[in-house]
Amino acid sequence: MMDKQLFVKSNKIERLTFLFDILAIVSYITLFLFLFNKLELPEIINGRMDLDNLQFMLPSYDVLWMTWDKFQMNSIIAMIILFALVAVPMFAINYKKLKTRTIYEVDSYVAASKFTQAIINFFSFNPVSAGLRIYNMFVLVEFVKGYKPKEFFKSIIPAIKSKFKDLTTKKQAEDTSHLDEYSLSIKKSIRRQNVTYVVRLLFTYLFLVLMALLIVIPFYWMILTSLKDFTGATTTNPEFFISFSRMNWVNYKVVLTELNFGLYIRNTVIIALFSTAGTIITTIFAAYAFARIEFKGRELLFSILIMTMMIPGELYIITNFITVSKNGFGWVGMPTGENQYFLAMIIPFVTSISYIFFLRQNFKQIPESLYKAARVDGCSDFKYLMRVMVPIASPTIFTITILNIFSSWNAYIWPRIITGVGGQEGKNYWLISNALRDTAFVQDNGRVMYNLQIAASALVTVPLLIVFFTFRKYIMNGIGRSGTKG
Amino acid sequence: MADFIANTKRVLLRFKTAVKTFFWNVRRVVNNFKKRIGKFLDKHNLNVASKFPGWAKALLYLSPALIVLSIFTFWPIINSFALVVYENYNMSNNTITGYTVFGNFLTVITDESFIIPAAHTGSSAVINTLIIVFISVPISVLLALFIAVALNSIKPLKSFFQTIYFLPYVTNTIAIGLVFAYMFRSDGGLVNQLLGMVGIQAQGLSWVESGAVYWRSMFVLIFYSIWSSLAFKIMVFLTSIQGIDKQYYQAAAIDATPRGRIFTNITVPLISPMIFYILVTSVIGAFKIYNAIVALFGVSGAPPGVDYNLQSIVMYIYQFIDGSNAGNLSVAAAASLILFAIILVLTLVQMQVSKKRVHY
Repeated sequence: MMDKQLFVKSNKIERLTFLFDILAIVSYITLFLFLFNKLELPEIINGRMDLDNLQFMLPSYDVLWMTWDKFQMNSIIAMIILFALVAVPMFAINYKKLKTRTIYEVDSYVAASKFTQAIINFFSFNPVSAGLRIYNMFVLVEFVKGYKPKEFFKSIIPAIKSKFKDLTTKKQAEDTSHLDEYSLSIKKSIRRQNVTYVVRLLFTYLFLVLMALLIVIPFYWMILTSLKDFTGATTTNPEFFISFSRMNWVNYKVVLTELNFGLYIRNTVIIALFSTAGTIITTIFAAYAFARIEFKGRELLFSILIMTMMIPGELYIITNFITVSKNGFGWVGMPTGENQYFLAMIIPFVTSISYIFFLRQNFKQIPESLYKAARVDGCSDFKYLMRVMVPIASPTIFTITILNIFSSWNAYIWPRIITGVGGQEGKNYWLISNALRDTAFVQDNGRVMYNLQIAASALVTVPLLIVFFTFRKYIMNGIGRSGTKG
Repeated sequence: MADFIANTKRVLLRFKTAVKTFFWNVRRVVNNFKKRIGKFLDKHNLNVASKFPGWAKALLYLSPALIVLSIFTFWPIINSFALVVYENYNMSNNTITGYTVFGNFLTVITDESFIIPAAHTGSSAVINTLIIVFISVPISVLLALFIAVALNSIKPLKSFFQTIYFLPYVTNTIAIGLVFAYMFRSDGGLVNQLLGMVGIQAQGLSWVESGAVYWRSMFVLIFYSIWSSLAFKIMVFLTSIQGIDKQYYQAAAIDATPRGRIFTNITVPLISPMIFYILVTSVIGAFKIYNAIVALFGVSGAPPGVDYNLQSIVMYIYQFIDGSNAGNLSVAAAASLILFAIILVLTLVQMQVSKKRVHY
């Protein structure tokens, strides 16, 4: 009864649904930005924001034709974020499935999942997608079972009844009278084995869940605290859950504006992008030379490079600091206005020995015969590298890119030393790690604004988590493999 | 209407073909030109590219990396040997008062807070680092091994758990360190709260603030370093366990071998090269611990108002660059050479041991 027309129709509907999904996601994001922009900050007194007053303010917001108080605003922003958190992964998974789904993989479960998604869509204020998904479900039901919508409704009640019957009728006790003693003993031992298997599985899962809790709790506590107000973050009996209305999204706004984290994030992104671009280019060329081009002293040079990996980084930093300061290149430590902080933070990191090593291993696995064939056809080395090697090794190159961005995001000591000699000017070139450690979260009256501090930490961590969840497979496979090859 | 659509389609198609033909023509002209130049160069013996010797080509490819490496990697290695023989090197005006062979090393070794525990604190940078290395590395390696084996034995939820265990790898050390410090607050911290729930009266117990005892701060530091280093080890162990030939396990299953014996006699020996590799790298990594201490205790390396110090060797080195003793880079170079020597010796010892133990 497989009707190909119906399958094609279902895919068409799905594509149309994506349009509205994207529309919904975009509108969530714009709405979030709009509301976040509206959030009211405390007044500025003597050049500093009056952060003590942050939790006692009760601003009211006129949005469109309604007036909301602080708590309603908090709940609405939380709802929008929740919707976006559901909608984006749902869209990504559906999109991936549509790309790879064949006609043979469609079964009644696909139709059922369409129904659940439609309900989710409906509750996240996306009725068009919900309607289209319901329609798609009917098409899929007709495709799988051959039911028209009317017949489908008729078939629901008998189906539920039969399921219910299956559950209520007891299993017949097995007749064991005809078995001899030996078979019985075997049966018993099998049962015992099954019991130990289940118990062991239970303990394994228990262990894994406990360890997972240990890993996850700091993240949960971070997100939770970042949304509390000052009293909530410093009370003797902290709460383990807070309601939507008491999530202080304004904390993030304070961190981004008053505490300057917007600037620090921008600095870090610039450093990460440029140093990663440099690393990729130099690494690809060097790895190619070590993997394919034959020259005297190749192994010697390569083993020297490998040996330098053992030397602790502190040794480099001491001399590099002299190199970039005024007795060397003069990038830092100069009078105000003549410093080149970005150069000093990027140039030393535009190549990496460990990535050269990693990529060379990958290049070496590409068969030599491919190279010879290309040479016979008159392909130059450069062309071969760009047209053959790089595409084949692209997963590895991608892994390197991500890892390098992560390490730039994590850089602490070198930027600290570089910006530390610059006084007030250097502060404008802080990266996020420096800012997290060295920003004074202390008020004039000695209060440590823990909720803002943790909000800043969350602000730094969340982009990393987003990148990780987007490219999960690449990153995890890359780490495993890089470890395996040493 | 239909006519209009058909017409538009035809026009678009024609336009597309025209563009395509144009680019093909451009390509042909360029290729012809290239060929002609090549012929010309060959004829007059000018074709350098085809006569490029291997090393010249290699140099061309290696030069971007080698230039950067020679300035920021090779030169520092050479220069640090020069730095250690300087006496009273002054960074700001680049002057020295004389030369000394072992003077800077002696300064480091006899320093109160490097090897010899200071009288009033009872700890030193080397002792602190050794404690961290010898407690955190075995625990984290064993824990990672157990988790990897457990992960390998389950099927549903496997990738979910894998993802969760990987999370610490993709975080900012400073950010999560601040969260840990917040969680271990004496008054209203999560840990004290949880301890109170279990029945231990811990309210007001100080971990990372003033009034904390040495071992309590050390516990937090070790706990954090294990937490953040677990992810990489689990990933590597899991990949290598999945690479083991299934036949060994099938043979063991036929013989009804107990689980413990399978673990000690099959899994561990077969991934022993990996365990050894992880041991070496994590010992080296633990010796270089710095960010975790800074995140938890700040640049001073100790909770405020206590008389001990949790400084590690690396922290000791950095205090000569921008800390309390800023400027005396010769001593810093001497200390980092000592750190290098320690790491080198440990690696060599581990290699000797592994020759007997590791199954390849």
